[in-house]
Amino acid sequence: MLKLHNLCRMYRTDEVETVALNNVNIEIQKGEFVAIMGPSGCGKSTLLNLIGMLDSPSSGQYIFNDEDISSYSEKQLSAVRKHHIGFIFQNFNLIEELTVAENIELALLYHNIPAAERKEKVLAVMDMVGVAHRGKHMPSQLSGGQQQRVAVARAVVGNQGLILADEPTGNLDSAHGQEVMEMLRSLNQQGSTIVMVTHSPAHADYANRTINLFDGAVVTQSVRAA
Amino acid sequence: MFKNYLITAWRNIIKNGIFSLINISGLALGLMSCILIMLFVREETGFDKWLTDSDRIVRMHSAYYNPDNPPFLTVRSAGNMMEAVRDYAKNEVEDGVRLIRFGASVRKDDSALAEQVTFVDGSFFNIFDLSFVHGSKESSFKKPNDLVITEETAIKYFGKTDVIGEVMTVCCVGPEPSTVAVSGVIENLPDASHLDLDMIVYIDPVIVENNSGLNTWTSVNVYTYFKMRPGISLEQFQQRLTYWIDNESPFVQMFEENFGELAADAKISDNMRHKLMYLEDLHLRAREDAGNMGDLSPMGDKTLIITFSIVAALILLIACINFMNLSTARVSHRAREVAMRKVLGASRGQVAVQFLGEAIVIVLISLILALALVELLLPLYNQALGRQLELSLFSDLKLVFALLGLGLLIGLGAGSYPAIFLSGFQPGHLLRSSKGAESKTSSSLRLILVVVQFATSITLVVCTAVIYAQTQYAQSVDVGYVSEDKLVLNIRGAGDNRQRLRHELLKLPEISSVVYSSESPTQDNENNNQFTLLDGEHVVGENPQVLLNYHDMGYGFFEAYKVKPLAGRLFSEDFGSDEIKQDSDGQNGQLSASVILNESALRKFGFTSPQQAIGKTLESGNYKGQALTIIGIVPDIYFRSIKFGVRPTAYTMNTNRLRVASLTFSTNNVAALMEKVESIWKQTVPMQPIELQFLDEMMKAQYAEESIQLKMFSVFSLLAIVIACLGLYGLASFTTERRTREIGIRKVMGASVKDIVALLIWQFSKPVIIANLIAWPISIYAMLIWLESFSYRIDILWLGPICLVVGGSLLLVAWATVGGNAAKVARANPIKALRQE
Ligand SMILES: Nc1ncnc2c1ncn2[C@@H]1O[C@H](COP(=O)(O)OP(=O)(O)OP(=O)(O)O)[C@@H](O)[C@H]1O
Ligand SMILES: [Mg+2]
Repeated sequence: MLKLHNLCRMYRTDEVETVALNNVNIEIQKGEFVAIMGPSGCGKSTLLNLIGMLDSPSSGQYIFNDEDISSYSEKQLSAVRKHHIGFIFQNFNLIEELTVAENIELALLYHNIPAAERKEKVLAVMDMVGVAHRGKHMPSQLSGGQQQRVAVARAVVGNQGLILADEPTGNLDSAHGQEVMEMLRSLNQQGSTIVMVTHSPAHADYANRTINLFDGAVVTQSVRAA
Repeated sequence: MFKNYLITAWRNIIKNGIFSLINISGLALGLMSCILIMLFVREETGFDKWLTDSDRIVRMHSAYYNPDNPPFLTVRSAGNMMEAVRDYAKNEVEDGVRLIRFGASVRKDDSALAEQVTFVDGSFFNIFDLSFVHGSKESSFKKPNDLVITEETAIKYFGKTDVIGEVMTVCCVGPEPSTVAVSGVIENLPDASHLDLDMIVYIDPVIVENNSGLNTWTSVNVYTYFKMRPGISLEQFQQRLTYWIDNESPFVQMFEENFGELAADAKISDNMRHKLMYLEDLHLRAREDAGNMGDLSPMGDKTLIITFSIVAALILLIACINFMNLSTARVSHRAREVAMRKVLGASRGQVAVQFLGEAIVIVLISLILALALVELLLPLYNQALGRQLELSLFSDLKLVFALLGLGLLIGLGAGSYPAIFLSGFQPGHLLRSSKGAESKTSSSLRLILVVVQFATSITLVVCTAVIYAQTQYAQSVDVGYVSEDKLVLNIRGAGDNRQRLRHELLKLPEISSVVYSSESPTQDNENNNQFTLLDGEHVVGENPQVLLNYHDMGYGFFEAYKVKPLAGRLFSEDFGSDEIKQDSDGQNGQLSASVILNESALRKFGFTSPQQAIGKTLESGNYKGQALTIIGIVPDIYFRSIKFGVRPTAYTMNTNRLRVASLTFSTNNVAALMEKVESIWKQTVPMQPIELQFLDEMMKAQYAEESIQLKMFSVFSLLAIVIACLGLYGLASFTTERRTREIGIRKVMGASVKDIVALLIWQFSKPVIIANLIAWPISIYAMLIWLESFSYRIDILWLGPICLVVGGSLLLVAWATVGGNAAKVARANPIKALRQE
């Protein structure tokens, strides 16, 4: 599905130059569930943002669905992104002024889908993640776990094949964390490719491959037998 | 404690640089507009209040009602009224005075200047207690032809003010020039007086006695003032006056003779009203009673004053809304500060006081800025208005306190909402929430306020646009004659030299014709007379008796102005019979002359075609017994400003009444032509000041008042928009800042830069569009009422497109204001926004 070749990302502030990612080579196949682990500041989020095309590499190659997207314009990236990639964040990133249903619908809003069809799809995923009766609620009226489920629903509503999750359980207690992990697993079983950053080894166990980062470089990759 | 607040306030102002700047500049502009307008309003409403006993002085206005014609209104009254009323209403009235003003030429030694000379009764200073510089109330006006002048006039003629005993000559009023002697010098009258006096002459009672314009019960030529006794109200005096008219006045007999017994329930005062008005009200309210005629000085306009006061209030409102909106929008930024202060033990009151203090400091800074701006712009403003308004802060404590009060009021008014709002937060809630305490109600209240701002600005702009369109239209209407190539020369002073003057002028190659008339276009006086349609001795026709406006003209007038007859002919020397005959020419009753009617007059008599009227005979009240044959019909021309419409008019040829000459010229060098005309005047008419004007300029001058109003409206509505947009800009940058996270999420979800800009622009288009929907009906309604007062007005269907264009333009302005910021935010990388807690 995607292939990173000698990928580097440097941050330049006024004086300091931080190498967040250094010659990273990763290949992820369609249908995989990959966990990324590593100490704080090692570049996990940076990596995920690059995969999610929210950020551009300083050097290196990024092949997505057999196309080299390193030289894509912001507009082209945006088009690829909205059709293929769904995001889940640690702090949910729901829009507080919109209802649960409207938040989920947001992911379809820029897809040229008729309103009726959008509504249908939103209802379907809300049902799937178990917030169907909360459609008219505001995010602030939900618990953290419920909010994250809404975020999951938003990530998959557009039939995105790749789901990127940055510490999706970081703000949740273990019970709610578990719930979200089960949901991700079931999505994976239905064919979604998932790349997840986590600090929890237990949650990493849900994945069938774990990539360990240290100081911006891949140190180990361990594959679990299915 | 207070110092601490001031320090925090100041630091906050500095810290929030751009927003303080927007706040302060918006408020300063608003206050500036408000102060400028209020200075004007203060002067307009303060007219004549400075005169001693101004609350006891009244003027008598007349109105004559006639079933067939519109009422004849004037602020003057008949010459015989004053003495009769004063003697009758002894208990109500202390004294009375008549004023009559003439344009005259005043000579002193070798110089001759055109002046407005006011002739008055000897009682003048009993009513108007003006301050003397030289001489006194008692020593002036001891005998007829005593002259009192203002300091300014004294300086103009003599170079000094101590000029008692000096002699001047006043010409062109009576048949002979009269010699007048200075008996007193008074202080210059302030601008804020409707009297507008330079030279006052004690009129010779003998002249009064023999002058049919003064010794009369029916012809209204004089301004009549009374001073009421202390404690007497206008109503009491009015009642007494009306009683006298109905029961004891000479009118009782006159009515009986003319109309027979009055019906039981009819009163003379119903047909002939004499209305008293307080001196203090004259400037703003005389217009109600003035009809088509003027006053001693240009009349004020009450509606205009009210309108501008409202405009001032609205601009201030817009500025205050900016202030409120920006302060509450800043809430999210300051929520934590408030929370921490509360956690550390500050009470709600203390927090509120802090915010109020900040508001007041900002308002005071704005006020100082506004005053500086006013000082700076006042000369320009005065020039545009033709006034000498002053901002006398150091001598006018009342003004200082009023302004400080206003500042405090705005500070409290605009500051209290944010103060109450911010101080009411629960600290726990504030510290927990990632978004600050922005509630839905506060943000929708902000939008409502923005709607109010824009509805106000749009209304102002639409009104300005309509006024502009109407003014343009009024000036573009075809007046019916050619005015571009005309110079108007006053020939009243030329006397016997008239023919020589004409002869000399025609020698100039630039001048192709010189024609005479009683009035030039734009100079129309309300000269009305009864005209009767006759067949021999018998009165005939549908409407045999009609009140017509009349002008006199010499040969060639219509030809020079390129007015073609619709039927019949124009005055012509070839016939030799057109002129009105003077009494000395023969016996009344056997004389004949010619008359030309305009179309309106034709219709008034009930003729259905111009041809029908030709050859018919009229008799005029002025020339009783003289048969006036209708020789021609001319189209309706706007002799006066089109504001007054066209009146049914008769044109005759009474050579005694010809007072102005119209010179048709063609030249590229008008200055040189003016000089040549002047030098010819000097040679042929010595010792007379020349009064020469371009007709086009006289016509423009008729719209001077409107053009000033238009200028004021344009400037102030522009300011309103600028202030509203300043606020919108501030608000937009705040909200976009607050929405960065949301924008980030939307971008991750696939929104393009275009989508985001559209989203943000739509957010601010909504209130502007709603504002349009509110403003349009309001301004259309207001403008329909305003337009009603014009006889010629733009098609009201124009109001629609004007609204659309104004609304559309303002929407564009709003987009431009919001767009730049929105594009910047939309282009930013979303990662940062998403990481933000
Ligand atoms: N916008 C930025 N500007 C400068 N340096 C940055 C920026 N974003 C990240 N970095 C730096 O890059 C490195 C990697 O950051 P990154 O956010 O990817 O770490 P992480 O592994 O996700 O950490 P954590 O587990 O705490 O989320 C860090 O040293 C960080 O300081
Ligand atoms: Mg991270």
